[in-house]
Amino acid sequence: MILAQLMVNGIALGAAYALVALGFVLVLNATGAVNFAQGDLVMAGGFLAVALAGFIPDAPGFVLLPLVMALMALLGIAVSATAYLPLRNRPPVGVFISTIAVGIILQNGATVLFGPEPKAAAPLFGGGAFTIAGLQVPTQSIAVIATAALLIAGQYWLFTHTQLGRRLRATAQDPGMARACGIPVTSMIALTFALGAALAGAAGLLLSNQFFVTPSAGSGLILKAYIAVTIGGWGSLPGAVIGALLIAAFEVVVSYTLSYTAATAALYLALLAILAVRPQGLFGEASRRRA
Amino acid sequence: MTAPLLILDSLSVGYGGAPVVDAVSLRVAPGEVLALLGANGAGKSSLMRAVIGLEPAASGRIVLDGADITALPPERRARMGLGYVPEGRRVFPGMSVRDNLEVASFAAKAVRTGLIERVFALFPQLAPKSGDSAWRLSGGQQQMLAIGRALMGEPRLLLLDEPSMGLSPRLTSEVMATVRAIAAGGTAVLLAEQAARRALQAADRGLWLHLGRVADTGDATVLLDRMGDDPDFPGTPLATGPCDGAV
Repeated sequence: MILAQLMVNGIALGAAYALVALGFVLVLNATGAVNFAQGDLVMAGGFLAVALAGFIPDAPGFVLLPLVMALMALLGIAVSATAYLPLRNRPPVGVFISTIAVGIILQNGATVLFGPEPKAAAPLFGGGAFTIAGLQVPTQSIAVIATAALLIAGQYWLFTHTQLGRRLRATAQDPGMARACGIPVTSMIALTFALGAALAGAAGLLLSNQFFVTPSAGSGLILKAYIAVTIGGWGSLPGAVIGALLIAAFEVVVSYTLSYTAATAALYLALLAILAVRPQGLFGEASRRRA
Repeated sequence: MTAPLLILDSLSVGYGGAPVVDAVSLRVAPGEVLALLGANGAGKSSLMRAVIGLEPAASGRIVLDGADITALPPERRARMGLGYVPEGRRVFPGMSVRDNLEVASFAAKAVRTGLIERVFALFPQLAPKSGDSAWRLSGGQQQMLAIGRALMGEPRLLLLDEPSMGLSPRLTSEVMATVRAIAAGGTAVLLAEQAARRALQAADRGLWLHLGRVADTGDATVLLDRMGDDPDFPGTPLATGPCDGAV
């Protein structure tokens, strides 16, 4: 029973991590660049949800979610225009540094605007819990899982069933050839940053209700995304989702049996073990194909 | 004579040092196949990349149907009617055959479906592999897919860079026959090839490049006659005499 309870918590946490990792890997695939600001974009999404709740009192999270995602998409376009596009023909280290700088700006901006104290966003559908076969299931956990599943399914549909998704994928696979096919690659890259930031915003809203949000929360989240993508297979979208779920399940179970600190240490040890045994990650074929 | 669709006017392409394409001028008319010939390193691929816009022109002009496109980005050129089949095919490996085709069209869904059917009619081998990832295709099938993808944009000018590379003689003949069929529909074709004899058999005219400069030009039949059995034809520009390149 306890294990089942832990699994529900783990899946809810993993669903939110999956959104962070998906946003990270989308930008990685489209640009080849590691967006170190992804964790801080999640934090910014959390604070944006808190701020919007001030303007729309008593609004549940599901009302705020599309607003947060739309505003975060605009922030993503701004990040691409300032931190990626001017540097895309320079050595990759330039983008590493510029995205780290974006993260620092977001952290300090959040501290100035909201202070260093933890804040909580509104729950998606209100609080409470219900019981299924003796299992206490928080409403928020189910709402988080359902929302993340919908967003992931929506993203899958976009990429596989629409012309825009095909253009985004072509841009990610061979930007030069995509341009020769008439695809406006610069717009596609900006749109990818927008999508990545929108997913980060959604994750920020979902996480900040259960786990609170602080200006420094992003650094831990980018590490989780990085580990999820590494475990899942560098560049693999399904791998990122499964990697995120595995991380969360691992974190919840080890935190319960030992402690959160032990869980974090064990997570890094597990990462090292996976890299030693299967360096391409669990779903590494997609990234190999891209090489 | 039909008005040229593509005009290159003293086009030069360089990467900082000596130009790899040096003041090349040529014209291609609608429905015409111009074979761009020369050894490895002659500048054929650089010229093709400059025409589609993936390499900047160092000097000279590229004119498509009367419009100067020299400064336009590749995506604009593609939308204006340039189709590009690069050396090495460069299909989108993780996408299905159908998605590779569909992504290169900017027409409405119904028109796209019709265009895909036309590509499958031209290359029947691709139809049963519609849902397969492009990286699973053989080299010949990938070449067909790359040509089909370029046709999805309904190009007025098709740029084909080394389509015979890595293909068997039988497949090369099939590709060349397809090139003729495409040109018969009114599309102009600029065909860069090392396999000169096969290319000239499919072309109306030929142009030899040597070290980035035009070494010889003429009707395909004339060039084929001149080639005779000499595998090294046309030799160096000095052997055949430099040419002003105004084809």
